[in-house]
Amino acid sequence: MSLLTVTRLEWRRLLVRPLAWVLAALTLAWLAWNFTLLLGGFLAGQIQNAARPDSPGFTDLVGVPLLGQLAQLAFLVVPLLTMSVIAGERRNGTLPLLFAAGVPASRIVLGKYLAVLGWLLLWLLLTLAMPLALAHATHLDWGKLAAATLGLALMLAALAALGVACSTFASHPAIAAAAALILALALWGVNLGAQMAGINGGAINWLAMSTHLQPLLRGLVSSTDIVWFVLLIVLALALAARRLSAERERD
Amino acid sequence: MTLPTAVSTEPVLRLDQLSRRRAGRPAVQNLSLALSPGQVLGLLGVNGAGKSTTLSMIAGALRPDSGSIQLNGADFFEQPELARQLIGWLPERAPLWPELTVSEHLDAHGQLRGLRGAALTQARAAIIERLELQPLARRLAGVLSQGQRQRLGLACALLHKPALLVLDEPANALDPVQVAALRTLIREQSATGTAVILSTHLLAEVTAVCDRVAILHEGTLRHDGPVHSDDHAALERTFFEIAMNGHTNPARAA
Repeated sequence: MSLLTVTRLEWRRLLVRPLAWVLAALTLAWLAWNFTLLLGGFLAGQIQNAARPDSPGFTDLVGVPLLGQLAQLAFLVVPLLTMSVIAGERRNGTLPLLFAAGVPASRIVLGKYLAVLGWLLLWLLLTLAMPLALAHATHLDWGKLAAATLGLALMLAALAALGVACSTFASHPAIAAAAALILALALWGVNLGAQMAGINGGAINWLAMSTHLQPLLRGLVSSTDIVWFVLLIVLALALAARRLSAERERD
Repeated sequence: MTLPTAVSTEPVLRLDQLSRRRAGRPAVQNLSLALSPGQVLGLLGVNGAGKSTTLSMIAGALRPDSGSIQLNGADFFEQPELARQLIGWLPERAPLWPELTVSEHLDAHGQLRGLRGAALTQARAAIIERLELQPLARRLAGVLSQGQRQRLGLACALLHKPALLVLDEPANALDPVQVAALRTLIREQSATGTAVILSTHLLAEVTAVCDRVAILHEGTLRHDGPVHSDDHAALERTFFEIAMNGHTNPARAA
């Protein structure tokens, strides 16, 4: 039950802070603008595409690229959203209140993570509502869209876990945000050098987030990719819980 | 107010050889004491004497390096659920979530301490009325004055009717009227059988409400004895002897 209380508490804090609303408003406005551009491009190219037998459809030209833009924004949005989940509590001096209420570190971390994840999934759903609004007027490739949505959801969940972990380790929210951004970018592009050298397999490519997101955006669901994201989430949250538990012992 | 018909004399709190290091030095060393229901213990000491560390350990926010804490005879760390229900804690400078209203704070604290549904609603209404928080109930904690924050912190600590109330410098930022109200509240809690530990710098606070005083110096207990409200001078002498010399005058003690 304390898990639910922590989640509710963090959710309330997210809703009251202007940052979450400003981020939602700005990013959704940006995505809506891009949606109209993508839609305009799709409509303009419809006659040309109709003549080709395997021409890309609405999902390929509008739905998935829109989700790709959301993925790019997530690198900035998620660290800003997660930076103060634990570091902010530490600054407020409210962390000991949670310890004193007997809430285990793992539940504090998980409760806060779930609140942030809830916000991010809502953000994803609102973005998804744009292409879905035209489902009645065009042909949607539901399978491809579902795979891309799953990929995005996993990516957001992984970035949120990284952000929460950084917030647990950092003394100041700004440091947590910077660390989460750097880690996420590093994880995304860890294989850039290998790819430039023409190496497409190997451990370094397996480590990169892009290797596991891109197949999902193309509609290919592989259990390896899902396991990669789940492993990252579990590892980040376990490290965060361990750090928080040690803080109770140490400070 | 109704007094309990039979107040148990079994200690509600027992510290045994409690020790804790902080920032590489011993903050509390081999601290042992017991507190009975209804007893009000004043915890005195100069800055850095180990008062806040001791209270944080009792409240469960900090783990001791060694020693044990027993609540109503049960080990604190083996039964964290018990500690959650039995202890109310007001840390120094009442930490609050600035994004939450006064009412939401009470809900969050109640839920964290195991209160639900009607029990939580009743407890919240009662404490809001008792501490006169009605005008502030919908106000965000971030805009409260220091005195109002302290009152809210106190309300959160008392919400679940704890058996042990741990107050760290509760009179900070309170005006004289609020200090008098705080004293009344502490006496009320004591009369209903709640044990109270009150850490303070103010000797007058101890003589006004405490029936026992413990003086810490460099993390160790140097004095533990009764307080007589009419003998403020004796307490002052004892405190300053310990603060200056680390011990009471042996000749006078003899």
